[in-house]
Order: sequence, then structure tokens, then C-alpha cells
Amino acid sequence: MTSIRFVAMALVLGACTGLLLAGCSGGSPQKTGKGDGAAVSAELQRFDGLQGKIDIAGGTAHIPVMEEAAKRIQTAFPEIRITVAGGGSGVGVEKVGQGLVQIGNTGRPLTQKEKDAHGLVTFPFAIDGVAVVVHPSNPVADLTPAAARDICAGEISNWKDAGGDDRPINLYTRDEASGTREVFWEKLLAKGPIAEKANVVASNGAMKVAVTGDRGAIGYIGIGHVDDAVKALKVDGVEASQANASSGKYPVVRKLYMNTKGKPSPLVQAFIDYIRGPEGAKLIEKAGYIPTQDE
Amino acid sequence: MRKAADRLLTVFAWTCGLGIVAVAAGIVVFLCLRGAHTLGPRLLFDDVPWWQAVSGQRPVFGGLWPAVVGTLCLTLGAAAVAIPLGVAAGVYLAEYGGRWTRSFSALVDLLAAVPSVVMGLFGFGLILFLRKTLLPEANTCLLLSIFCLALLVLPYPIRTTETALRALSPEMRLLGPSLGLSQWQSLWRIHLPAASRGILSGVILAVGRAAEDTAVILLTGVVANAGVPGGLTAHFEALPFTIYYLAAEHRTGDELDRAFGAAIVLLALTAALFVLATWIERGLHRRWRPQP
Amino acid sequence: MKPEAPARESNGRAASFPRLRVGLQTDRSDAWMRRATLAATVVAAAGVLLILAFLAAAVTPLLVSGEFFPLLGKPWRPFDEPGRYGIGPMVAGSLLLAALAMLLAFPASVGICCFAHGVAPRPLARVALAVVHWMTAVPTVIYGFVAVFLLVPLVRGALAAGTGFSVLSAALTLAVLIVPTVTLLIHVRLEQLGPDAALTCRALGMSPAQTLRHVLLVQARPGLVAGAVLGFCRAVGDTLVALMVAGNAAQLPTSPAGSVRTLAAHIALVVATDWQSPAFRSIAAAAALLFVLTAVLTAAVRRLQRPPTPRGCHAQGG
Repeated sequence: MTSIRFVAMALVLGACTGLLLAGCSGGSPQKTGKGDGAAVSAELQRFDGLQGKIDIAGGTAHIPVMEEAAKRIQTAFPEIRITVAGGGSGVGVEKVGQGLVQIGNTGRPLTQKEKDAHGLVTFPFAIDGVAVVVHPSNPVADLTPAAARDICAGEISNWKDAGGDDRPINLYTRDEASGTREVFWEKLLAKGPIAEKANVVASNGAMKVAVTGDRGAIGYIGIGHVDDAVKALKVDGVEASQANASSGKYPVVRKLYMNTKGKPSPLVQAFIDYIRGPEGAKLIEKAGYIPTQDE
Repeated sequence: MRKAADRLLTVFAWTCGLGIVAVAAGIVVFLCLRGAHTLGPRLLFDDVPWWQAVSGQRPVFGGLWPAVVGTLCLTLGAAAVAIPLGVAAGVYLAEYGGRWTRSFSALVDLLAAVPSVVMGLFGFGLILFLRKTLLPEANTCLLLSIFCLALLVLPYPIRTTETALRALSPEMRLLGPSLGLSQWQSLWRIHLPAASRGILSGVILAVGRAAEDTAVILLTGVVANAGVPGGLTAHFEALPFTIYYLAAEHRTGDELDRAFGAAIVLLALTAALFVLATWIERGLHRRWRPQP
Repeated sequence: MKPEAPARESNGRAASFPRLRVGLQTDRSDAWMRRATLAATVVAAAGVLLILAFLAAAVTPLLVSGEFFPLLGKPWRPFDEPGRYGIGPMVAGSLLLAALAMLLAFPASVGICCFAHGVAPRPLARVALAVVHWMTAVPTVIYGFVAVFLLVPLVRGALAAGTGFSVLSAALTLAVLIVPTVTLLIHVRLEQLGPDAALTCRALGMSPAQTLRHVLLVQARPGLVAGAVLGFCRAVGDTLVALMVAGNAAQLPTSPAGSVRTLAAHIALVVATDWQSPAFRSIAAAAALLFVLTAVLTAAVRRLQRPPTPRGCHAQGG
């Protein structure tokens, strides 16, 4: 009997502790004021007096910017809670359209149908190109759009037919909800087919991980995600850089958008203004994108 | 020819037996090799002092603490719902024979057959439905995940309680009434303690399952980045999801190391649960083994 | 205090002793207990019925319009004009992976049981059983995680084709995942047989391998069947391993190095928030299919389970 009592009490205590933890980390604003006492910048001041939560979901290219902004805001104002999730642009549109999140990120412009169906308002905040990436050891450095189409359709299946080593080409593509995929498909593949046997990964980060680990891989990620772990190919001799994307020389370009359902609430508007303000611009540049405000 | 078959079986059995031990050891060794160097307060709390992190004074970004808290909340919440409910239902199924018992039993078996991803989809669908009808503000959250996890693990305490109670000897069952105890008193003071070993195995199974399940929370509210759960109606993080997310989408070598560290933490947690279960079970066995 | 007639157990057999009701003054707590436990059972049953209702509601429009079964054959191409939301490749993927995993895991489980029931000395047998017990407590995500970083590069190198995220890697990982479950199911059955059969055989001079081959495994056949079917169910219902390791291409797999998507991974990957859209209906169809499959298999196993009757080495045969 004592063992059961002991276990029962342990469970009850544990449940109480758990719920307490969940509770105490919840709404109670911190008495000591602004986080670790660091000076709150003028940009962050716009959050002063606001509280509530912002749920963000959608495009995975946006995640580095969103996470960094969330970290700064929550450190300065602990009563504001921001959660960031991925899922891809399609998920972003659906979730914000249904009201499940406050901000739905997309890596492609909204269609008129989407805007009308859900009453979405869009806020572009960065320019990003989509680069074709391969493993760093791959000798191929340049790709024509025609070659890209053939590779993605599966008609060229060995790197030696594309100017590389004798190695099978392993295709990686994104899931259906991806804005990156849509831009890549429209602008580089001219809506050509992607072979069914391509491995499907769920985000820009996952694509990078996949390509880094596979010598025969070819995939596509936002230029902001490109670093030494992968090699971005030139398209028709034009290097895949944000400068080229912004000037229009590099053809595969898209903007990154934040979208809300209807007019955003004050807290959400403050967040959007923060991202599109000067401090947000620094975050965007740090993540590898080019800040912008135009539609 | 027969001897060859026997020889083959012996060799095969040895291979399998040693093989499974090797595989288990391999998993642990691999994780430790790649992840042991990350263990330490930094893994859990990033650069926030641990007392400030635990008391909720400063939020932790880049550490596992929010995910650990999320997993604890999920596990304890699901256990708090499923265990009393399950034990009570198991008591009913074992103690009262009615015409509904067989149907209830069949339903419990059906519940046990639900795959976890279907349970997650059910939770998500429930929210979509509630949004259109009763609760327009409903959203995927900790509460929903606890509810779905509780449903998922409910069959374990029900089944083990029922089995353990049914397995009680007739002498044990006559003991209560022979002393003048009511049915309730017999149950609470004799039957349940006598069946405690079986009941406890169901409890441990339920807790273990709730701690490690990922498919349910994937669809009902877990996100990659949420901090410590801000209440029952908020999105949350959890260890299994963090491992999955970092494995697939790590952006830096640091994040990958954190994934390995998280894997070790989760493994340690479940191993501790397992050891605790074995220890309690041994203790109960000593107390309640049938006397000669 | 009148003993009632022997109550019938729910399986029709008489209870082993009469149910006694003691006194009137304690009726209130008894009635309270009965109500409380009944309420708990009703709540549990309501939960199940809610799940069934949800699946039925989501799938009925498809059944009514006759689209359900064709969906099982169509490919998944949501961007074609018009979009095609078939789950055919995923059904094939699920069944293929589960079957392969069982093919690998079942012999291994039988081997481990043989190891633990006579072939190996007692201390080693206990170590193996303890390890298997512990492995059932290891989270699924850990198996997937180790597979991604240890197994996938090996498979990629060994097959020299494909990306490593393939049918082979996923089948191997799933096999490792389900071996402990299947092993324990068979082991429990072997334990229930009791020591008599094994002792008798040893007394007759049979070696452990002969004992196992001719007697124990034969008598444990219900356990073997249960292990096989329930292991298959576990493999079919698993989400994370296939999601992390199998590559997730929505195609019919043509080679072990090819990428495949299972029904469970498909449900986890495709998030459709409009519950009237064809994508959501397709996901719900996948979920219903998965559930029906596991429910039917589990029910079949329960039917086949018979209580073990410890027999000696008669000429009765299995």
C-alpha cells in the first residue's frame, strides 16, 4: 500500500510541478523590467506597453530572420511571446487564412485568389534569389536553364553528361507547400516536370543538409542559405548572389513576404514595422537577404 | 542433415543474440561519441545561468531547456489524465460483468490500434471543426496535445489494470468480504495493492509512450521555437521534435551537436524511467509474491 | 448475506467464485465506486467513438461519391491541372516497407528467443533479454536519428546508387525498431509454456536446439503469429522512421535504393487546413486506411490467441 501511495503522491506532485512550470512561465510579466537590463533600442521601444502572443508559420527561408527578431523582442519584453514554425509558403497561407497563426510567411507573392478567399494583406520585406546548389566537391560550376530542365526531368541522370564526374545525379526537391520550389519551377524550369523519383525534403535547411551530405546531389535553396557547405551554380554565367538577384541579372528571384489576415493587430503591426525598420534591415542582411519595402 | 539444421539454428541464435546486444551498444556508443562533448549546462540553458532559466526569469534561446519543460508538461499532463481514467476504467471492466463489458473492451482494443499519426490528425481535425462551430478561437496547443496523448496511452493502464485484477486469486477476492469490508474497501485496500505490479507496468508504459511520441505532437501544436510553454493554450517545444527538427534542418555544426546532445538527454530520460520501473516492480514483487 | 448464482464472466465462462455483497450500510460507497468507474469507462469509450466519428465524417463524402477506392490507385500530383490527390504510391510504400521490415525482423526475433531460451548460458540470456526490454523503451526518434547519421551514409556508399534515403535504409531501421516488440511477444509466450516441456526434452537427451525446433517453437506458434502480425502493425503505423529515412518521394518504389513515402509520413508531411479541400480528404482517406488495416490485423490476432496449455512432449504435435 505504501508503494502505491508513494507513486500516487509522486505523480500528483509531478503533475502540480509541471502545471506550475507551465503557468509561471506564462503570463506573469517579469518584475525586474527589461530582461537583462540591456538598453532597449529605439526600434524595440515600439513594443513598450504591448503584450500578447504572435504565432508565425510558413516559409522556411524566413526562419532565421524571424527567430532572431523574436529573440530580441522577447529578451527585452518577456510578456510578449513569439513562436516560430516552418512548413513552407503554402502552409503559411493556409494557416494565416484560417486564423491559426497571426503571421503567415511566404516566399512567393500571394495569388489574387488567396487574397480574396481569406482577405490577406501582404508585407514584403526582403529580396532573395533561389540558387541551384550541389555538393562542394562537384566540379560543375555553371548550368544553363535547358540543362537544369533536363536534369530535373530526369533525362540527364549522370553528372558526366552535364560536365562533371561519372556519378549518378541525385535529385532533391521541396514539398508541395514550398514557395522556393514554386519560384524555382516557374522561373528556372519554365514549369517543366520534376522527376517523381526526386527525394522530398521539407525546408531550405533540410535541403542544405541533404545536399551537403551527398556528393551527387543537386537541389535548390534560397541564396540567403548558401554558405561554404554547399556550392551555388552559376546560371548562364551569372553568379547566384543577392546583388545579381536584386539587379535582375540573376533570373530566379523572389521576395519574402509576411502576410496577415486583414489589418494586423497593434502587436503584430509593431512586429512587421520592426522587421521592415532599420534594425530589422540589419537582421535581414545578417541572414543573407536584401531588405526591401516595395511590393 | 538434422544435425546440420540444429547447428544452423544454434549459430543463428548466437548471431542474433549477440547481434542485438551489439546494435544496442552501437546506438549508445555512436550517440555518446558524437554528443558527449556537448553535455553540460550550456546544452540546456545556452548562456543563461541555470537558476534564472529554471525560475523563468530569463528566457532561454538556443538551449534545450524549453524542450525539456515542454516534454515534462506533456508527459505529466497526459499521465495525470490517462492514468486515473485508465485505472478506473480497468477496475470497472474487471470488477463488474455487465452486458456492456464486451463492447467496452472491444472499443479499448480499437483505441489501442489507432496509429499515433491518425491520433494527431484527429486532434488537428478536432480543432478545425471546433473553429467552425463552438470555439472560433480554438488553436493547436499544449492542451490539445495533452488530450490526444492521453487518448493514445489510455489503453495501457486500462488493459494492465484489468488483467492484473482478473488475475487475482479467489482467496484474495474472498479476503475482503470475509473481513466485512465493502466492495469499495476491498478494492482500495486489498485488490489494487495486490494488483499494483501490473497496474504500475501500465502506468510506466503510458508515461514512456507519452514522453517519446512525436507524431501526435507534430500535428497538434509543437513548433521549433517557442520558449517554455506559456500556458495550456500556447504552442510549445518538445525534445523528440527538437531532435527531429535539428536532424533534418540544422543550419550550423553547433545545431547538429545540440541534436546529438538532445538525443542523449532523451535517451537518458527514458532509460531513467525504465530503471525506475524495474526497481519499483522488483520491490512490489518482493512484497506481493504469492506465499507458499 | 446471500451468495448470488455464479456470475458469468464476459467471455461466457463462470466466475470462479460467487460474488458476495456485504451489508447495506456500505452500499453508498459501492454505488459511488460503480458510478465513478463506469463514468471513466464511458469517457474512454466516448474518446474512441469520437475518433471513429471523425474518420467516418472525413471519409464519407469520398465513399459516397465513389472516389475512395480509385484514390488508392491514383498518384499524388497536386499541381497537375486538375490536381490529383491519390494515395496509391503511399499505400504501396507502407506495405512494402512493413513487409520488408518484418522479413528482416521476424527471423531475428526468433533467433533472439532461441538464444534466450536454451541456446545460450543463463547469464548471457538474461543480458540479451534485458537489452531487448530496454530497447522497447528507446524512443522511435532516436532510431531514426541514428539511422540518418550512421546508416544512410553507409547505404549510400554500399549501394553506390541513390541517396541513401531509401527503401533499404528505412526497412533496416524499422526492423531494428520492431525486433524488441516481436521478441518480447514470442518470449512471453514461451515463458507461459512453463519449464516442463523444456525440462522433459533435456531429460530425454535433446539439445537446446532440438528442444526449440521440435517442441518449444511449435507450441509457441500462436505467439509467433501474434508477434509477426503485431510487428507488422507496428511497422505500418510508424511515422518517424519513414519520415526521416525513406526519402519521401511520392512514387512507386522500383529498387531498394529508391525513395519511398509511407501513408503515415504522408499524413505528417501534408498539412491541409481546409477540411473540405481534396487534399484534406485525401489525407483523411490515408488515415482511415491505416486505421482499418491496424484494427483488422489486431482484431485477427486477438481472435487467434488461445490460452496456452502447457503440454509435455506428447506425440500431439503443434
